[in-house]
Parts: sequence; C-alpha cells; structure tokens
Amino acid sequence: MSEMAQTDPEGIDGVRMTWNVWPRTKVESSKCVIPIAASISPIRSHPDMPTLPYAPLRCKTCSAVLNPFCRVDFAALIWICPFCFQRNHFPHHYSAISETNVPAELYPQYTSIEYSLSDPSSSPINPPVFLFLLDTCVIEEELGFAKSALKQAIGLLPDNALVGFISFGTQVQVHELGFSDMSKVYVFRGSKELSKDQVLDQLGLGLAGRRTGPGFQKGGQSGFLANSGVTRFLLPASECEYTLDSLLDELGTDQWPVAPGNRALRCTGAALSIAGGLLGACSAGTAARIIALVGGPCTEGPGTIVSKDLSDPVRSHKDLDKDAAPYFKKAVQFYEELAKQLVSQGHVLDLFASALDQVGVAEMKIAIERTGGLVVLAESFGHSVFKDSFKRVFEDGEQSIGLSFNGTLEINCSKDIKIQGIIGPCTSLEKKGPAVANTVIGQGNTTSWKMCGLDKSTCLTVFFDISSSEKPDPSGNLNPMLYIQILTSYQVPDGQTRLRVTTISRRWIDSAASSEELVQGFDQEAAAVVMARLTSHKMEIEEGFDATRWLDRNLIRLCSKFGDYRKDDPTSFTLNPCFSLFPQFMFNLRRSQFVQVFNNSPDETAYFRMLLNRENITNAAVMIQPSLISYSFNSLPAPALLDVASISADRILLLDSYFSIVIFHGMTIAQWRNMGYQNQSEHKAFAQLLQAPHDDAQMIIRDRFPVPRLVICDQHGSQARFLLAKLNPSATYSNAHEMAAGTEMIFTDDVSLQVFFEHLQRLAVQSS
Amino acid sequence: LDSKALPRPLDGDVEPNSYAEMYPMNCNSRYLRLTTSAIPSSQSLVSRWHLPLGAVVCPLAEPPDGEEVAIVNFTQNGIIRCRRCRTYVNPYVTFTDGGRKWRCNICALLNDVPGDYFAHLDASGRRIDLNERPELSKGSVEFIAPAEYMVRPPMPPLYFFLIDVSLSAVRSGMLEVMAQTIKSCLDRLPGFPRTQIGFITFDSTIHFYNMKSSLTQPQMMVVSDLDDIFVPLPDDLLVNLSESRSVVDAFLESLPSMFQDNVNVESAFGPALKAAFMVMSRLGGKLLIFQNTLPSLGVGRLRLRGDDLRVYGTDKEHALRIPEDPFYKQMAADCTKCQIAVNVYAFSDKYTDIASLGTLSKYTGGQVYYYPSFHSAIHQEKLRHELARDLTRETAWEAVMRIRCGKGVRFTSYHGNFMLRSTDLLALPAVDCDKAYAMQMGLEETLLTTQTVYFQVALLYTSSSGERRIRVHTAAAPVVADLGEMYRQADTGAITSLFCRLAIEKTLSYKLEEARNSIQQRIVKGLREYRNLYAVQHRLGGRMIYPESLKFLPLYGLALCKSIPLRGGYADAQLDERCAAGYTMMTLPVKSLLKLLYPNLVRVDEYLVKVSSQADEFKISRLPLTVESLDSRGLYIFDDGFRFVIWFGRMLSPDIAMNLLGEDFATDFSRVNLCERDTEMSRKLMRILKKSREEDPAYYQLCHLVRHSEQPREGFFLLTNLVEDQVGGMNG
Ligand SMILES: [Zn+2]
Ligand SMILES: [Zn+2]
Repeated sequence: MSEMAQTDPEGIDGVRMTWNVWPRTKVESSKCVIPIAASISPIRSHPDMPTLPYAPLRCKTCSAVLNPFCRVDFAALIWICPFCFQRNHFPHHYSAISETNVPAELYPQYTSIEYSLSDPSSSPINPPVFLFLLDTCVIEEELGFAKSALKQAIGLLPDNALVGFISFGTQVQVHELGFSDMSKVYVFRGSKELSKDQVLDQLGLGLAGRRTGPGFQKGGQSGFLANSGVTRFLLPASECEYTLDSLLDELGTDQWPVAPGNRALRCTGAALSIAGGLLGACSAGTAARIIALVGGPCTEGPGTIVSKDLSDPVRSHKDLDKDAAPYFKKAVQFYEELAKQLVSQGHVLDLFASALDQVGVAEMKIAIERTGGLVVLAESFGHSVFKDSFKRVFEDGEQSIGLSFNGTLEINCSKDIKIQGIIGPCTSLEKKGPAVANTVIGQGNTTSWKMCGLDKSTCLTVFFDISSSEKPDPSGNLNPMLYIQILTSYQVPDGQTRLRVTTISRRWIDSAASSEELVQGFDQEAAAVVMARLTSHKMEIEEGFDATRWLDRNLIRLCSKFGDYRKDDPTSFTLNPCFSLFPQFMFNLRRSQFVQVFNNSPDETAYFRMLLNRENITNAAVMIQPSLISYSFNSLPAPALLDVASISADRILLLDSYFSIVIFHGMTIAQWRNMGYQNQSEHKAFAQLLQAPHDDAQMIIRDRFPVPRLVICDQHGSQARFLLAKLNPSATYSNAHEMAAGTEMIFTDDVSLQVFFEHLQRLAVQSS
Repeated sequence: LDSKALPRPLDGDVEPNSYAEMYPMNCNSRYLRLTTSAIPSSQSLVSRWHLPLGAVVCPLAEPPDGEEVAIVNFTQNGIIRCRRCRTYVNPYVTFTDGGRKWRCNICALLNDVPGDYFAHLDASGRRIDLNERPELSKGSVEFIAPAEYMVRPPMPPLYFFLIDVSLSAVRSGMLEVMAQTIKSCLDRLPGFPRTQIGFITFDSTIHFYNMKSSLTQPQMMVVSDLDDIFVPLPDDLLVNLSESRSVVDAFLESLPSMFQDNVNVESAFGPALKAAFMVMSRLGGKLLIFQNTLPSLGVGRLRLRGDDLRVYGTDKEHALRIPEDPFYKQMAADCTKCQIAVNVYAFSDKYTDIASLGTLSKYTGGQVYYYPSFHSAIHQEKLRHELARDLTRETAWEAVMRIRCGKGVRFTSYHGNFMLRSTDLLALPAVDCDKAYAMQMGLEETLLTTQTVYFQVALLYTSSSGERRIRVHTAAAPVVADLGEMYRQADTGAITSLFCRLAIEKTLSYKLEEARNSIQQRIVKGLREYRNLYAVQHRLGGRMIYPESLKFLPLYGLALCKSIPLRGGYADAQLDERCAAGYTMMTLPVKSLLKLLYPNLVRVDEYLVKVSSQADEFKISRLPLTVESLDSRGLYIFDDGFRFVIWFGRMLSPDIAMNLLGEDFATDFSRVNLCERDTEMSRKLMRILKKSREEDPAYYQLCHLVRHSEQPREGFFLLTNLVEDQVGGMNG
C-alpha cells in the first residue's frame, strides 16, 4: 500500500500554506486569487518533537518565544527576537550555553517544540470532567445501544476522571451520583430556560444553597471542587462506575406519553444549558466536556428546532433559504449564548447524534465548533459509525485521539502580516494587536483564540493579509524572510499543561519579478481545501451567496493569471504542474456536499462542514475529491480515475470519500464470490483479491475519527449508489449514444469533467 | 353560677333513651342524636327554646359486635327511593293498595312498588317479608349502590404522605417514628390488593419518589423550582402498594437515615403541597402531612404572626385564629374537588400557624393531630398509635352526605370538617368512625301539622373494598306543642356538642370572651325559661331548677368555656394549641367530647395496694373535678381521652411510688417514662391504663406524671383542668 503511506506533507510543524512564498504587497497578494492562508494542526503529535521540562523564554517586547530563527550572541548571552528585533538577555540559568552547547529550542530542526509548564509537585492536578448527557426519548433498542456504549466509555476513563450524568427527555434529570442512600435526581422542566445561577441554585450549588445546604456533603474530597458542592454530582470514575452501571440498568425510556401524530417532547436545549450550569460550579480552568448523546430533534423549550406535530417536517435547506424555518434563528441564538457561556467556562460540547431524521446539528453547530467539541452523526447508536467512534474518544495509548482541554492559541507574525481570522473549532478572544487585520474571516479581531477542546487531529485555517501597499525600497535592508509563531497552550488528559511553540519561516517575494518562485510555492491541495472552507463559510454567512459562480470566477481568474496560453485560443491553454490538479479539485468541490447542499439535510451539511474545517488537509481533500483504488488480478492495487469509466466487471474498487468507504465488486467478481470460489484452495488468489480492499479499508477506518461508514456493494446492487454518486459522469444519458454497450452509465445532469475543462479553457483565455 | 352546687356528670355521657322506646325502629343514637327529641310544632316554641335545635351525626360510628349495619343489595333493580324527594325506603314507609304502592314518610308521596319488590301485606297492613327486609325493619342499613351512583369507577384506597425532612423534623425523631409506624401498618392498610401509596419529602426543595415496581430501590427526584412546581414523572409516583411493596419497604427503611445529616432549616411546604396535589388529583385519597417547620419558602409561606398579648380583647383578636393567606383555603377547596382528604400532623416546638395549616383539614373532612415540641423519646407511643389508627381504621372514600327531614323542618347550617357542596350536601373526601358532624335546623312553616318528623341521613361512599355504598340512618321524632316536653326530651350531649362547634366557629370572627358569653347566655336563658314554666307550680322562688335531662348542661357549659379553644386569654393557651384543639373538637363524636370537657378523675392507690384476687376488677368511681377531691395520701388518674395525668399525693406511701417507678421515683417527673415494672402494683396500674385506652381508641393517652405541689407542672397538667375550681382554665 505504498499509495496510502504518503510522506508526511506537514512535517514537524503541522502547517500547510496555500502559498509558501509570499508576495510582498497587498496588491500583489490579491492578484494571487487564492488567499494566503495556513492550515495548522496545533497539537499534532510528531515522533521527533522534544518536550522541555521548563518554561520558555519570551521576548520582553512582543512575548514571542525563543526559537531557532533567533539570532544569538553567545558571548554576550543575548538573543534577538525575529519579530520585533528586541535584544533579550538570556537569564542566569542559560549561562552555560555556547555554540557547542545549544539548548533544544534553538536547534534548527526543532521549529516545533513543546514545553511542559506545570510542575506536578506544586499544584494539585485537576482531573478532567466528563459530563454525559443521554437522550431517553428513543426506542428501547436505541437506548440499550447508547447505555452499553456509555458503560464501556466509563470503564475506559482514567480512574481519577470525574464523571457526571444527566438524562433527558420531556424533562431534564441531573443524577446526584454521590448520594448513597438511593438513586437521586434533580428534575428540571424541559420547557423552561434557566440562567446559570438558577441552575446552580436549584441544584443546591448556588450561594444560597451552599449556605443552607441540602446538607448531604459527605466531606472527603479535598481540592479544587470541594467547596462548591459539585462533588455531589461529579465523582471519580473509579468510585461511581458501579453506581452508574446500575443506574443505567434501571434507566428506561422517557415515560411521558406521546400523543398520536406527535413527536416525543425532547428538551435537548434545556438539558445542555443545565449541563453548562452544573459545570459552572467547577472552578475556572477545570478541564470539562459535555458529551451529549442525542437521538432526535429538540421539540420542547429552548433550542426547539421543530414543532411536536409530526406533520410539520424538520426544516430543510429550502426552508432555510426561504426563511420558512420558524424555529431556526431562535435556536441558533440560544446555542450562541450557550457557546459563550461554555467558552467563558472553558468547557467543551461534544455531540453524538444518532437518528434517521435530523436532530438539530445545524443549530448546535455553533456551540460545538466554538468550544472545539467532537461531533458524530450516525443513523443509530447501534451503528459502528457511532459505536466505534464513541469508543475511540476514550481509548488510551496509540489509538487515543489525544483529547485535550483548555487550549489557547496565540499567533505572532512579522511586521506587515495581518491576521484576518480563523475558520475552525475555536473562539476569538478579541485580543487586539498590531497584527489584527481590518477585514475579518471567521473568528477574527484578535491574535488569540480559545480552544476549549482540541485533539491531535484538530486543524485550524488562519487567513492572512499583507498590509504593505508599496513595493519595498530596494535600498532598504529588508529581511527576505517572514516569520510566524504559533503558541498553543493546552491541558493534556492527565492534567498537565503544555505549551507548543511552532515557529515557521517563509520567503518574501516580489511576485511581479519572480513569478516562477511564487508558482513553485503553491500548494494546490491546501489551496483546494482552503477554498472549500472559505466557500462553506461564505455560504453560511453571506445571504444569497452563489458558491458555484464564485468558485468558477476565481478558478478562471487563477487560470488566466497562471496559465500559459495565447489570448482567445483555448487550444493553446496549458497549466504548470503546480496548478494542474487544482481545476479538478474545483470541479469536484462544485459537485460536493459542501456546495450542492440541497441534496442533504441542514444537519448533514453542518456536520460535513464542521469536519471539513477541523480535519487536516489530506483528509479534507478526500472529502472534496474522494480517492479511488482499483484491485484486479495480475496487478498491484492502483489509484483509479474518479470516473465512471473505472468500473469494470473484473475489478474491485475501494472508494474513500472520508465519510464513507465503499468496497465495490465488479459483476464478475461478485458472481465468483457468490459461488464461493474464494473458499476453494485452488482459488487462493481470488480469496486474496477479495480480502485486500477489506484490509485496506480497515487501515483507513482505524486511523479516522469519526469512524467512516463502510459500505460493501456489488455492481448493479442498490448500495452501488454510494460509489456512483462520487464518480465523474463521463457517461451519462445525454451522451449515452457515444458509449460502448455494457459500460456503466450515470443518470445525472452534472456536467462531466471534460465539459468543465473545455469551458474553463475557453473562459481563461478570453481577453477581458 | 356556683359550680359546686351543680350535679356532676360522674357517669359520663348518658345517651337519651326515651326515643328508643317511642320509636323502636329508629337508628341507634350513636349515629344520630337530636338536641331534643321533641320537635316544636311552632315558631314561637322554637324562640322560647333558646338552646340549639339540631342534630349530631356520626354516620360511621363503630357499633359493638353483633350490631353491625345490615348490607342490602338492590343492585339488579335499583334502590327503592321516593320519586319526589329521593328518600330511601325505610321502616317508616307504609304500604297500601295490597302492597302495590308505598307512601313516603318524608313527603307523603304515593310511589309504585316495582314488580320484583312486591310483597303481599298481612292483616295489619305489614309486608309479609318484613323480617327478611332489613331496610324495612332497621333504622340503619347500607345499600350497595349500582352504577348510576358512580361518576367514575370506585377509587382505590390511597394514602399519600407529605413529609417534612428539615433539620427539626429529623432531630425531633419524628421522621424515624413516622417511617417505622407506616412500615408496620403496610399490611393493615385497608383495601388490599388495590391500595395505592406514594410519598413526597421536602425541605427547601421537593423530593418525589419513583416507586415503580420493577425498581430494586426507589428513586428520589428533586424539584427545586418552587415558583413553577411540576411533576417529574407521569406515573410511578403513586403506586399499587402490593406491587411495589419491596420498593416502599426499602424507602421507609432508608428514610430516617437518608436525611440524618440534613441541615436544611427551610420549609417549602406550599409548593410541596401543590406537588402532592398534582400527583393525587387524578384519584383522590388521603393526604397525610407531617409538618415540623413553619412554611418559609414559596407559595403559602407563612410568617410568625405575633401571638400578641395586646391583640387579645380587641377586634383583631380573631384574626390570629384564621388563615392569613387565601392559599390554604383555595388548596383545601381544590383538594375536596379532587376527593383528597388532608390530615395534618404538626410537631413543631415553635409557632407553626396551625390556624392556616388546619384549614386544609377543615375543608377536606380531615383531621389535625398536634404534638407540640414532639420528641420521640416522649411522644413516640402517641404518634405511633394515632398514626396507626389513622392508617388502619375503616375509611369511607369519596363520600357525600345529606340529611333529609320531613316537610316543615329544614336544616339551616352545618358544623364540622367538610366542604358544603350545594346547600345541603356535605363533601367528605374521607370519613371514618371518629368523625361527627353537627347541624342546626329551623321550622319552615309557622305550624307543623304532622304528628311526627322523620330524619334520614344518607352517606354515599366508596368502601375500601371498592364498592360504592349508601349508608342510610332513619329516625322519627314526635312533634310537640309543649315547651316543657321539649326540655324534658333534651339531649345534653348533643346540645353541648352543637354549642361547642358554634362557639369555636364564633372565635373565628369574635373575641374569645364573646364566644363564651354567648354560650353562657343561652344556657341561662334556656334555664330561666324552664324555671318560668314551673316556678309558680313548684313555688321554688329564686332557686335554680332544671329538667332532669339538662341537669349537667350548666357544668358542661362551664367546662366548655374553660376548654382550650375558648379558655381565658393570651396566657391561658398557646395560639397553636388553641387552634389545634378547636379543629379537633369540631370533629369529635358526642361521647369523646363530653369526656374531654369533664374528664375522669379516679383514685387508684387503694386498689393497687389491695391484695389481689384474680377476678378483682378495678371499678371506676369518678370524682368531682375539684382540688378537694385530691387526698394527699392518694394516687389519682386524670383521663380526658387525650392524655393521662397521674397525680402522686405528697403523703402517698413511698412503697407505692417505688413499686410503680422503681429508681425513678425521686427523679424529675418530666423525664420519667411510666412503664410496666415487675411488680404487681405496676401491672395493675398498667392494666387500668390499658383498659382506659381501649375504651376509646381514637386517640392515645400519653402519661404525664405529676407530683403534688410540684409547680408549675402540677398546675399546668392538672390544676388548670379541674374545671370546677376557680382557677381551672382561667389564669388570664
Ligand atoms: Zn519580540
Ligand atoms: Zn318523598
């Protein structure tokens, strides 16, 4: 599988940029068409990265951290900050450094390095808090699946992790796990919106409550939570595993009757806001996440997305477009407030939605994304997409996704570089500074962001702007290099705080002068993903935004600028290899779920977009343009064209579109398999051929969160649509007469890649 | 009035029997007593009677063995009732036309006898099947009601408990005693296997309990939103006892320990009450409230109303004795509508506003139990007994009661614990043998032309076994034109009972003094009227004369004025105690009331020291309630039906005290618990007490030991209650 084992394009820094050589001026940068942006993976793990057990040295002016790009005067024990050129003295404990005795943070290869900040001996480590929310307005079977998933998860948690449990349906039930005499819950009306203080008061955690007290504090637990009383609700996993197990055994589906023709009353919003309130009793800086298992739409109280009348369907994209979704805006507003509260507390919202219909991911998106929460959308709590993903969250060791908490991201950059904002799972901390751009994309107006939750795969897209409008004075002694430093402090699951420092350096270029260098620095895969993210973002915030047109216009502009052609002669058009893949990416992006949203529900769209925004470039590229591998006798597995022409009766295809993985058996292969040839010793090769795509699929699945849906199908089978939908319709009914008999045909009005190219060439060469 | 000169009711209540001779088919007087069994024929007679004209009804009074009320099942063809006035067929109806018609004794309408009820008449015009027909031969019968007497299927017996678990409730030990008692009664609750049960506990929050039968232990569900109380589960807060028995047991088992560390001092009583109402409202039933703390949070929160000395004797005095917040009366009305009877058990050592809480019982046919400064070490036996009786006595559910009477006479007012639905229908969500109701009547017409007036009490209820039944008591009384006859046929017990209720009601809108005066004046007027009738004839001049039937009335009247609800002023009784006693006395049957007013005082030391022969039973010989009755060498028992006071004379032989109290005989009596010791004397005394308790099991007499001359204990427990003495009940 050499094709799968790509070399790591992100390196130790975990950074990929649309342009790796930067135009020096604003005008030049705007001519580049594709914005200057960096996709960063702030805490991606790398085997070569050292962790230093001491605190970093910071520049006294701009507080940038000492890094390999600093100029060091070993004799004078001085280092010069590459961002602000401040001369800083090394402190006393660095006095032993010399040219031959360099501290790790100055090693040229350690452009990314980690500092371990907390001294475990001094302050007690706050264990992370996991507050589980379980929807009980589901059928018995689904509840059973969810309960066993929960039990398994709690078993996987570290012993000291604090666990809380809330179940909800028509009402919200906060379980007091620390009450030993019997099972005890605090019940809240689902229809009511409560402030954090009201929640705390009603749980006996408010100021008044603590004074008169429900009085059940059994003392014990020392440390950060002891005074708030919240330890009645949050117990170490090792202490409450038994209680929770038996509690879950007795927990039934919501008992409130549902009138015929109605949806169950489900108060997801109230439950989440109460969960937020409960966590509000934890002291600041506590690593905590709300893990919500939701099985249907919110129909009661705050966050309602649809009426309880079953004849009212859940809003569609069409409804949103026509402003005919009466609950949408109010629900979004509610979740926006919840997001603010959670971010201010530093807590995460994870959503595991499992339902055939929508549950309101579109409305909850803001709270999940702002807090850096995980999201998984599945059809059932019994489906592997949920089950295996959920398990992954809690797994330790190599399989661990590296859940971390309380992240703060800061970016320092060289003069003339401004930050427009970030698209991805974070919230602006509104920290103004000279590096803040006037225009905003995503979470902007800041050089610092909060990431309540983040993990090894978390990825953010930073949009840059160039502020200098004039060409540099050639006589000036300008640094040809630009620097960007990304500082990410975060809390690892065992409670320690780390600071990741990534310092990157790129070359400035006068693009008019040396366009070739600019072209060579173009990362078309990164650019495609950034364009996909930007398009999705614009579709969400700009009313009436025509995504296809916008993409087309930009692609034509790009091709006009960087293509080689004679004016008005489409046949003369050629593209440099550094750009040659880009049009096809755009072709597939136009057809993708990110742009053609009407084929999906708003929930699915929200889900796809959240993952698009938080995955690394390679994975995100697969979402836009799936990979296709073909397996046949007598040849090694090989990438195949994402085209209907790749289908053949004696081949197996493996399609990876990120969200699903399809193993597609050609007709002949399927027949042989049905006849059981693979079980006969003389057809060992066939058995191996059958098995190979399965093994590869498992390899993909193992590394991916959320776990993709695995579809195994045969040519002409009903499940085959999962493959066909992703293929280039080179053979459709509109050109069927040209096709040889027996080839696969896709029934679609989409233009084929070839037609698309033809149009593009014609338009790119037009003199404007 | 010189009380010393008055005849004393040392034989207790003497039921009038002239009735029974005149009308042998009348119902027993334990069910219905008229204040006089001679009904005045004219308005002018009524106005010269001065005493109350009315009746006291105890529809479910416990009959002695062998006198149980006969059950009649007419189910197939409906119950025979008068077409016009709806009177139930009874021994006083007459059959005519060869048995084909019957004449209603109340309205005189001639009704058809349905075919299947037909029987021939004998020569004297009586039905030949008379002896097989209890409804035609007995004054009291119980009909099984057919479906048309139901607006819904008969409800199951239902017991719901609303329990204060705040700091003081836990500390007093109430919680533990209560939980143990309920647990011990579960097998004896009426209505197995349909009985339903449920619990709510509360302090500053409301705790519901999910008792679903499939659970291994109950689930506690806390609702803290006091302003917007709601039910946290659609079902399972109220469960079938036999199905959820193990969960209920587990709950009662852990209830005391569960809250043992509770330091919450608040009481969200109002919201908790609303919560209980929401859970019960669909079925109705009995709501038992255990309240230890003045309601302090949410709706119905009460304030410390100063039992202010200065208010006494002013026009504002009565306001202390009525609820301040309309919430309580409204809740009571809602409860009655939903067939919920509320019994309040109050335990506080501080003011808890019984006036307000008791309203809940007053309008729902319930009852107030008051244990001021409850402490389990002292009071547990009393609570145990009274709660057990409340839980296990036969109870009639979702009942209504009406009393009918013949033409020309009309009931005008009703007095007791109930809510009046329409002008003459008493709504009684629950009724039992310990409840009596009183009513006054008047003449509708100036002259009664009939010879006899008939009364019929009908109580329609659901039995614990799930049957809809109608208990019917019928009685007749002659109409007289002679005022003297009215006095001679008077029933002092019924008169006292009505006086008592009228006076207590009067304290709710007037000063105590006015309530007392009105009783005294009416007694004086009545006796003066009687004397005027006979003074000339007997030439008795200024001496007081009274008919034999009323000879104890003056003393009972005096005792009534000295009873807790009416006595003295500010210093003579705690406000809560007054109100609680008032609520209790509004429900008491005649016999219990008379005993409370003029308690038994008996000397026992001679009996105790007598060498016993097995058959030697203690013969009660009551003494006048005056300090002169007390010999300092004696040992006395004072018994008012609610408590015993055992008085140890100063010169009492130490041997007796040692025999009874052992080592404790010299210690502070307030700390001594009288219990059976291994001596003959002790056994004998305990036997006496036991027998007294068995006589009237409605309440449990707690024992208070008092030493001669030991103040203030002696004064508080005994001397104040010697009604004949000047000091009795009149400190203020
Ligand atoms: Zn600096
Ligand atoms: Zn009649």
